[in-house]
Amino acid sequence: MKTAHALLILLLAAAWPAAAADWVVVANPKAGITRLSQDEVTNIYLGRYRRLASGATAEPIDQPADSALKARFYRQLVDKNLAEINAYWSRLVFSGKTRPPRIAGSNEDALQIVLLHPDALAYVDKARVDSRFVVVFEIAE
Amino acid sequence: MASPQLTPWFKGIVFRSLAAVTLITVLLGGLSSLVIREQVATRGHGEALQRLSELLDAVESTASVAIFANDEQLAREVVQGLLRNSEVQRVTISAGPTVLARAERSATQFANQPPVDRVLRSPFKKAEVIGGISLDANWDAIYKRVDDNSRYALLMLLSQLLLVIVGTAGMVFLVVVRPIKATSDRMHRHDPVNGGALAIPEGHAGTEIGRLVGDINDLTGRLVSTLNQERELRRQHEIAQRKYQNLFDHASSGIFVADIDGRLASFNPAFISLTWLSRTVAEEPRRLIEAGWSEGAQLIDLLHRCAQTQLPCADDFLLRGRRGDERWLHVAVMPLGDGSMQGTITDVTTRKREEMTARRLAVTDPLTGFFNRQGLLQAFSTVDADTPPFAIVMIDLDGFKLVNDAMGFPVGDQVLLKVAKRIRATVQPDDYLARTGGDDFVLILAGADAREALAPRIEAMHALLCEHYAVGRESVLIGASIGVAFFPQDGADMPQLLRSAELALNSAREASRSVGTTGYRFFDQQLQMVVEHRRRLEDDLRLAVNGGELCLAFQPIIDLRTGCMAGAEALLRWQHPARGFISPEIFIPLAERVGLIGEIGRQVLEGACMHAAAWRRDGFEMYVSVNVSASQIPDDLPPAVVLDALRRHDLPPHAIAIEITEGVLMNDIDIAQRWIEELRACGLCIFLDDFGTGYSSLSYLKRFAMDTVKIDKSFIMDMSADNSDRTLVEAIITMAGSLGLKVVAEGVEDAGQLALLREMGCAYGQGYLFSRAVAAVDFASTVARISAEMAIDLPNLLPDELEIV
Repeated sequence: MKTAHALLILLLAAAWPAAAADWVVVANPKAGITRLSQDEVTNIYLGRYRRLASGATAEPIDQPADSALKARFYRQLVDKNLAEINAYWSRLVFSGKTRPPRIAGSNEDALQIVLLHPDALAYVDKARVDSRFVVVFEIAE
Repeated sequence: MASPQLTPWFKGIVFRSLAAVTLITVLLGGLSSLVIREQVATRGHGEALQRLSELLDAVESTASVAIFANDEQLAREVVQGLLRNSEVQRVTISAGPTVLARAERSATQFANQPPVDRVLRSPFKKAEVIGGISLDANWDAIYKRVDDNSRYALLMLLSQLLLVIVGTAGMVFLVVVRPIKATSDRMHRHDPVNGGALAIPEGHAGTEIGRLVGDINDLTGRLVSTLNQERELRRQHEIAQRKYQNLFDHASSGIFVADIDGRLASFNPAFISLTWLSRTVAEEPRRLIEAGWSEGAQLIDLLHRCAQTQLPCADDFLLRGRRGDERWLHVAVMPLGDGSMQGTITDVTTRKREEMTARRLAVTDPLTGFFNRQGLLQAFSTVDADTPPFAIVMIDLDGFKLVNDAMGFPVGDQVLLKVAKRIRATVQPDDYLARTGGDDFVLILAGADAREALAPRIEAMHALLCEHYAVGRESVLIGASIGVAFFPQDGADMPQLLRSAELALNSAREASRSVGTTGYRFFDQQLQMVVEHRRRLEDDLRLAVNGGELCLAFQPIIDLRTGCMAGAEALLRWQHPARGFISPEIFIPLAERVGLIGEIGRQVLEGACMHAAAWRRDGFEMYVSVNVSASQIPDDLPPAVVLDALRRHDLPPHAIAIEITEGVLMNDIDIAQRWIEELRACGLCIFLDDFGTGYSSLSYLKRFAMDTVKIDKSFIMDMSADNSDRTLVEAIITMAGSLGLKVVAEGVEDAGQLALLREMGCAYGQGYLFSRAVAAVDFASTVARISAEMAIDLPNLLPDELEIV
């Protein structure tokens, strides 16, 4: 029964992605970034590189581990669940070459960090974004 | 029995089967190990690749993470981890052209094998290739393991084969060899002749070995029985051999085996002694021809003939001894079928001599030593145109029968011997003498071909033969008739010559009765013609009898006292169409000789009866007399035939009288007497004809019951002139009268004779004075004429005599 529910939810989620794209990646306007591709967002968030094409360093900010938004973000970005993302990070953390993104306490926290650090990038609830932030990536329909 | 021979181990079934099994397993094992090795190598290779691929599977996601995150540390971890596998030789993780991490095992030697590569993609974007992992296998290690595996498999195979071989050997030994060995041992101890079968090894009753033992037992049984039969045959053969050897050695006949040319393969002692061969052996092989055969070539011919025809042949051969003695041996050979011949030799000298004697006797007259008729015909059986001329002389002794009758056969034989001696004295050495009958001799005079030359010799011979013969104290005189014929002019062969000579002889004999003849005759054609004439006459007579040319004439018999006709004699007449009248004296003997007399006699009787009956109907009470010759009695004219004729013509018995001559009485007296008695008992009268001409034995008259005697005409004819005849006639008449017989005088020709006869008291007469024999048609007139004549004459008769009649 549980499986059936989960399956139903999964189907609904997949069938309605446009409705789920309620987040956007925002940056500090001082960073000078106006637009990021999906690959760039992916590489930055999953630790491939933290430098932008402009030469600026990018500091991704993650949502709390139990945040529903975080799960939606990774699902829609790279089609992985959080367990997979965690397993991925556990291998890299083990070697010590890179580290996972910094975790903000909440949406507000994340936006705060962006405001304070021009290198920071964060994905947040779309509704919370205001003119202090530049939306650099919004997942396509 | 031979001691059991041990089979060498290398020839045994165990070794052989082991060798075979080993050979096969080594071959198959070698082949299969090659295949297995190859298979194991291939599979090992594949499996190694599979394992490497699986290794890569295990590290793929980590490696891709390492590449994605450019994490050399992580990549190194992965590489090191992989290298821990002994099959891995070298691992390289590269992100594009950059080698992220690389590690390899030391002390390597590269097999020439490509590495196992795996393309690595981004963990988050499957389409994006971010690098690769390349893995070189440690092929040395892999192959070493594969080798180990295949070696192990081979080892297992070999040990299995070893087990199979050992097992096979054991089973072969237990199941095959041991029972065979046991059977073989039993067979060695076994004595099949004393019976008993070979035991079947335990548990093998149904197996091939059991069957084999059974077959051996069967075969042994058959062999033993065959052996027994063979032994029995050999024993019998030996006995037979011994028997035949005895026969061979002790036979009185000679036995030999020879080839076609007479080379002797074997012979018995009798053969040597019979053939007068020397006992010491001169040369080998001895030859049949060595003996002193007079006709050796013919003996070899006999062998050849036997070999050719494959049939037994035999012949007699004359053997001449060294001292001039002779022996006849009968040699019989029969083919043995292999080209040789077995022969027997028997001494047949005695038989041969007897045969020759018998043959000589068969052609010899034992009394005179001359040839007999057979010998004569044999000796001259092949007379032909090349035979030189000769004369055949046939001699017949006249009166010799009388000598034999009167003086006995011993005297006759003595005379014959003397005759032979005289004949021998007159002939030449190459003349041929034969005695062909009792007193018949035939001489063949070689070289004689002319009458003139021969006549003196024949005449001298005749004279010599007619001289007196002194036999004991008696002196015998006999005559001789000689007939001579010449070859070739008087006959082409012996029978013809003998016939010619006999004709001449007959002619001489007939002539000798007249005075002044020579007593010998040469054959001439005239004699032949006479014979021809007689022969034709015979044919004519036969036709005459059948064609009725013979007819009867009747001569009246007159009662001299009354002048009446008493009867008539029926006389046979033959009017030959060409030759005219032929006398009964000629054709009656002819008819007797050719057997026509019976038929003629019956015709005469029939005619006589017919006419007698006719005359009786006309009132002539008289008899008709019929002549019967000796040869007709009794079978050609049995009394029953006579009586039957009388009955058919309704005649009384006294109407026919039978005239016989003394000749009838001279044959078988008893038969004649019975015949006469039978007819007389029936009432017929018997006349004795021609009385006085023959022996005229008065005892006949007494012995045979007759009725009438007819005095021969020769007496009556001479009666007037010759006083003695007259006396004789008178005596006969008187004697007949005293015996109660009537008398008929034949041949009364004149009145004087009639007067005399009347004077003598002769009751009946017959002759020309009264009448000749006349034909039946003239008989009545003749009777009338005689009655008239005799009536004139009657007054001369005495009245008392008339009364008597």
